[in-house]
Amino acid sequence: MRTRTFLVVIPLVLLMAVSLVAQRGGRGGRGASAEPAGPVPRLASGRPDLSGHWTNPYTPDMARGAVDPATREPLMFARKGDALPDAKAPASGGARTYDLPYTEWGVRQWENYDPVNDGDYTGNCLPFGMSRSINSPHGLQIVHGQDALAILFEQNTWFHWVPLDPAFAWPEDLPESWNGISRGHWEGDTLVVETTRFNGYTKLDTAGHPHSRQLTLVNRFTRLDSNTMEHTVTVTDPRAYTRPWMNVRTWRIKPSTDVIMEYSCDENNLQGIVDGTIKLWTPPEDIDE
Amino acid sequence: MARKAWFRLAVGAAWLVALAPLGAHHSISAEFDTSKPVTFTGTVVKVEWTNPHIYTHIETTDAEGKTVVYRVEGGPPNSLYRQGWRKDTLKAGDTVTVEGVRAKIPTSMNIGVATITTEAGERIFGTAGRGGRGR
Repeated sequence: MRTRTFLVVIPLVLLMAVSLVAQRGGRGGRGASAEPAGPVPRLASGRPDLSGHWTNPYTPDMARGAVDPATREPLMFARKGDALPDAKAPASGGARTYDLPYTEWGVRQWENYDPVNDGDYTGNCLPFGMSRSINSPHGLQIVHGQDALAILFEQNTWFHWVPLDPAFAWPEDLPESWNGISRGHWEGDTLVVETTRFNGYTKLDTAGHPHSRQLTLVNRFTRLDSNTMEHTVTVTDPRAYTRPWMNVRTWRIKPSTDVIMEYSCDENNLQGIVDGTIKLWTPPEDIDE
Repeated sequence: MARKAWFRLAVGAAWLVALAPLGAHHSISAEFDTSKPVTFTGTVVKVEWTNPHIYTHIETTDAEGKTVVYRVEGGPPNSLYRQGWRKDTLKAGDTVTVEGVRAKIPTSMNIGVATITTEAGERIFGTAGRGGRGR
């Protein structure tokens, strides 16, 4: 009896703890730099240089800490916190609530997300998507030049390239994709990265908060000193949410002894798909509804 | 008795901190039956130092006296490396005790939500680490 209680309670307690730690901007001492903070490093142009090996806070649930983008106050909306008795069970246990300002389509997606029975696309080692990659727990490397910035995610060894040259144009007929396409521009010393053209197959976070193909994700990066960067991410998706909402996070430079490493998800997940412990992903049929 | 329960709670908690980020790509409740705890002592056969989970193969005898090899799931190798663990932390032939839960599929030898303890009482691959942050 005690063992059973132990095994049921732990997932809830720990996932909450991980989420809370992540929302406070770091995983304890492992993310802290050993070097004392110095001034913001600059490119030759004078713009802040965002290069570095960063601890981006693990954020499995973006609804926790969702704020109004205009005021940064906790997001308020009708039905906030209401129970959703018809919702499928989350993988972490507990029950889903009305935790973001959903449209009818959005809440339907939230209620029906069923990772326990349907699996999750990430189990197939498919791209997490821009939002969930930035939420991931393993750190990332930013390589920043005058005309472009590359984000190298340790999570599954993915990259995302962000052109900064105003003259650059993505082809108009480029297909929608898992991670979307981005453009960056400066607003003072803040780099604003706008990402669109998503295929709609991903979720915003581990909890499974939905988004549609209409998503515009805006990530803003403001380097505060050599060790610290403020990061905000704003979700605007009129199909899924009635209004934009935002997360505010603090990134920290990793110690120089911590190097970015390869991460091959397929190494053992492939066997899980073959033997049926991980469900094979198929594209959702109602993506355009 | 209460202190032992809290100790087990903390150990299990530490394990799940390591596993929690992976919950969605590989739902614990989808693969493992948390109502079927298992404890056994056995001998390390090998360690698969692979992503997203390491697997420690441990040979023991089951309730019927048959020799079996369980595949004990652990955290991601990159995280473990940063915590000071290495792929040769456990060696073939080491004796360890495992506490975890069985997979739902009867033919699967995977053990999840697991702790591994050496004869000396050290928790292996736990998030408390072994010091030397990453190197």
